[in-house]
Amino acid sequence: MSAVLITTLIVSLISALLAAVITVTDSFVNNYGTVKILINKRKILQAKGGSPLLFTLASQGIFVPSACGGRGSCGVCKVKILTDVGPYLPTELPYISKEQMKEGIRLSCQIKVKKDLEIEIPEELLFAKKFKATVEKIRDVTYDIKELTLKLVDPQVIDFRAGQYVQLSVPPYDKIKEITQRAYSISSVPSQKDRIELLIRLVPGGAATTYVHYYMKQNEQIEFTGPFGEFYVRETDAMMICVAGGSGMAPIKSIIFDLYEKGITDREIWYFFGARSLRDLFYLDLFKELEQKWSNFHFIPALSNPLAEENWDGEVGLITDVLNRYLKERIEPSKPKEGYLCGSPGMINACIQVMKNNGISEEKIYYDKFA
Amino acid sequence: MKMSAEYIEAQKNMQPGVISSVGFLGDDKRDLVQIIDEDEQIMSQLGLDFEKVAVWMKKLLDLAVKGLGETVLVDDKWEVNVYEARGFIPCPFKDGIFRKRVIHVKNTHNKTEIDLSELSIHLFEKHHFLQGKGSPFRIDPHMLKKVLE
Repeated sequence: MSAVLITTLIVSLISALLAAVITVTDSFVNNYGTVKILINKRKILQAKGGSPLLFTLASQGIFVPSACGGRGSCGVCKVKILTDVGPYLPTELPYISKEQMKEGIRLSCQIKVKKDLEIEIPEELLFAKKFKATVEKIRDVTYDIKELTLKLVDPQVIDFRAGQYVQLSVPPYDKIKEITQRAYSISSVPSQKDRIELLIRLVPGGAATTYVHYYMKQNEQIEFTGPFGEFYVRETDAMMICVAGGSGMAPIKSIIFDLYEKGITDREIWYFFGARSLRDLFYLDLFKELEQKWSNFHFIPALSNPLAEENWDGEVGLITDVLNRYLKERIEPSKPKEGYLCGSPGMINACIQVMKNNGISEEKIYYDKFA
Repeated sequence: MKMSAEYIEAQKNMQPGVISSVGFLGDDKRDLVQIIDEDEQIMSQLGLDFEKVAVWMKKLLDLAVKGLGETVLVDDKWEVNVYEARGFIPCPFKDGIFRKRVIHVKNTHNKTEIDLSELSIHLFEKHHFLQGKGSPFRIDPHMLKKVLE
C-alpha cells in the first residue's frame, strides 16, 4: 500500500516539476514583448505580442467581426496583412480563395502576433465599439421572429448607418459553456441613438437564436459590438428596388424609415417583402401607413402560399416572380435603378438574376448576404 | 472498427467549444467509433441505406434553398424550410467546410419532424456519424425512419 502511495507521490512531483519547467520556458520562448500594429497606414497600436491578431485587436478596442468567437471555424474574421507572417496554416486554407491569397488576406483568429505588423481593415472597423446594454423589450412579431429592443448602458449612444449590423454576444447557457457571437442587422433608425432594435428569427438548433427565443429575459444585461457592414444607401437619385424576406426586413426597415425621417422623399422606393402565408407577414400596418404618407414609397408584400381562410387580396407568388412581374409591367423601365437586398444567399442570388435580366447592372445591386 | 488517429482527432474536434459552442457529441459517453458502429447497426435493422437516405436529404436541401426561405412542399409529403446564418462550419474530420444552413423537415402525413444541417448531412453520408445523443443536430435513426415513412 505504502509503495503505491510513494509511487503516486513521485509521479505527481515529476509532473508538477515538468509543468513548472514548461511554464518558465514558455514565458521566455513565447515572450514577444510589445509589438506595433500599423492599421490602414495611419493608426498605430501597441500591444503585448503572442496572442492571435483577432484578440490582440479586440484588446485595443478594434473589433473584427467573427461568427465563431475566434475558433477558426466560420471564416468571417478576414483581414489583409501586408507583413510576411509565414505560410498559410491548414486551418486557414478552407476559407481563403486563391485571389485572397494573392492579396494577403488571412484569418485574424489564426495569426499569432509575434512581431510588428502592417494590416488593412475596412475603415468602419475603426469606429466599432463594444456596448453594454439592457434588454428593454422582447416582442413576438411572428411565431418565429422576435423584435428585441436593447437600451444602451455603456456607451450610452451609438452612431451607425441604416443597414449596418451588430454582433450580439450571447452568454453561456444550458449545455453551452462559452459566449456565442452572432451578427444581426439593426432594424431601428440611426436617429434613435440610445437603443437599438433587432429582428431575430428562430433557427432550429441555433445557439444564439435559441437563447434569444427561450432564455433571454427582460432587463438582463447583454453585450454587443458594432456597428459593422457596408450595406447602406448610396446617395444618388436612382430608384430603389428593395427586396427582403423574414428577418431580412431589419436593415431595409432601418433604411426606409431613415430616408423618410431625413426628408429624402423625392426618391422613388419599391419594397418587395416575401412570405409564405399571412402569419409570416409583419409590420404590414406600419408600411401601409408609411405608404399613405409618402407618395413615392410603394410596399408590395407577397405571399407564396396564402391560406384560403386568410382572404389575402395582395400579390401571390415567390418574391422573385412578383419582382420580375413588377419590373416588367409596373415600374418605369427607363429610370435608373439600384437594388437593395437582404436575405439568404439563395434568395439574393435569385433576386440578382431577376434584376440583371431587367436591366439593373450588378454593380448597382447592394446586399447583405447571410454568408 | 478501432479508434484510429483520425477518429481520435475528429472526436477532439467534436468537443464543445472547438468547432461549435455545443459540439457534436451531446451527452453521449460512448466514443466516436461506438456511436458510429451502433448507429450503423440500428440503420441496418431499420432497413435504411445511408447512400439512399443521403440522396433524399440532399434533394430536400436543394429544393428548400430554391424556396428562398419559404416553406416548400416536396412530393406532397414533406414540408421543408431552410434557415441560414452567416459564416461557415468545418467538418470535424477536416474534409470540407459547409454553409451554416439548416433545413427543418416535417412529414405532413404523420407530423414527425427532423432538423438537418448541411454539415450533419455530410457527416451522415461520408462518415456514417449521426452525432451523439443529446446533440442538437443528432439524426436519430428511429425518428429518421418515421419522417421517411
